[in-house]
Amino acid sequence: MKRKVLLLGGSGLIAPNLMAGLDPYYDVTLADVKPHPDGREILTVDISDYEQVREAATGMDALMNWTVVRDDPDLSFHVNTRGALNVMKAAAEHGITKVVHSGPQYVRYYYDHDFDITDVPRATGVGYYVLTKTLSGEICAAYARAHQIHTACFLFNGLAAAPTEPRRGDYPPFTVVWEDLHLAVRLALEIEAIPDLYQEFNMTSYEGHGKYNSDKARRILGWERTSDWERFYRREP
Amino acid sequence: MERVLITGGASPLGGEIAAAMDDCHVRLLDEAWGDTTVSGPRVEAREGSLVDEAAVREAVRDVEVVIHTGDPPLDLPGIGRGREERLLDLATRGTHKLYNAAIEAGVRRFVYGSTLEIFDAYPETVYVSEFHRPLPTTEPASLARYLGEITSREFARDYSVSVTTLRLGRMVYEEDVAGRDRDLMWLDWRDAAATFRAASTLDRSSEMSWCGLTFSGRYALFHVCAPAENPRFVGRAHTLHEPVHGFGWKGERT
Repeated sequence: MKRKVLLLGGSGLIAPNLMAGLDPYYDVTLADVKPHPDGREILTVDISDYEQVREAATGMDALMNWTVVRDDPDLSFHVNTRGALNVMKAAAEHGITKVVHSGPQYVRYYYDHDFDITDVPRATGVGYYVLTKTLSGEICAAYARAHQIHTACFLFNGLAAAPTEPRRGDYPPFTVVWEDLHLAVRLALEIEAIPDLYQEFNMTSYEGHGKYNSDKARRILGWERTSDWERFYRREP
Repeated sequence: MERVLITGGASPLGGEIAAAMDDCHVRLLDEAWGDTTVSGPRVEAREGSLVDEAAVREAVRDVEVVIHTGDPPLDLPGIGRGREERLLDLATRGTHKLYNAAIEAGVRRFVYGSTLEIFDAYPETVYVSEFHRPLPTTEPASLARYLGEITSREFARDYSVSVTTLRLGRMVYEEDVAGRDRDLMWLDWRDAAATFRAASTLDRSSEMSWCGLTFSGRYALFHVCAPAENPRFVGRAHTLHEPVHGFGWKGERT
């Protein structure tokens, strides 16, 4: 029997692109405050309302939080920060021991001129998006420790379809293709234990710059790119 | 006379800091004042919430220093989800609005009141210094203070402002706990207030880096509790203010 997973933010920019990699393996309930772009059934859940989140999480084996409000000075806190609190509280209340969380990359403003950037700490700043998601990560970590909730948080800069034909020019920095993210999410849902109960993973499918990489996902989740996507960007001399 | 804004102004800590800032014009901001009264020509009380942008903009007008105590309003519910959500909201969204408005108004010095409770998870065998990673629990009050600390810190990263975080011990009056077993987190209210006063004079806003060796950048962090023969919390707060109240300990600092 498929494991039951509640996916919050089901109508957002990321989740609809995940379903091809999740539907064959999990019984996914999509939740959001707006209709799904492809007309899939959506459970109406406002993540900033704990009762709604708690009820939606009933009977689930895992929770995934792909919600985000980026630049609103109030809603960003309510959705990103309080929403994360509500998800972790619901997991704790229902005894759910696996959560997948998400957020933005926290490193490009500080490290874009450096190389071999793997496990560096967040360099957050005060932008609503990055700060509220940083705070959400701290909440997730505290609840993960307190309630033994194994929590993986994927961090993104660019997300895109995989290339299918040769392209002229450089590959995009810090960008993950959907197929690689499918695999990462499945691995996060299947792995028995997340070290220290909470870990963040920078996700990129293109590592040829020697700058950003996904080594931590390789090391902890056993992830690997599903293809050598950089081959589409080779220059013919 | 320097003008200082103190948030959580109706709290005991707010009152003690106001008393310690005896050569400043003090503006106290809080959501609810209850029976708390303030008096004197140099102290001014304002009612307003940290999440009310208009109230915050008014509160920061013409001040040189913001002391953000992190203390919640007196009318906060004692238990329940409402309490937790409000604590979280004030510490995160409220802190963000406060610092944004203050920076816009030209404030360059900030002091934030956090808590040493975020190290409760460490065993007693560890000397906990400012270099240790906080491990906040899910207890709402201390988790909220920690989130407020992060929010404060990030303003020092992004702006040319000086932000000092004081992680405070368990505040008591020395005379009230005479004869009780020593708590290594104890800190006398008056020493806490004196430390805030000293921290309010720190101005590293012109430093090029937000982070520097031994707290030399725009952001500084201190663990604040009374000295003890065998302390659990160690750090450099005594360089700001040497505590007067030692809870019986009269020895030399090691």
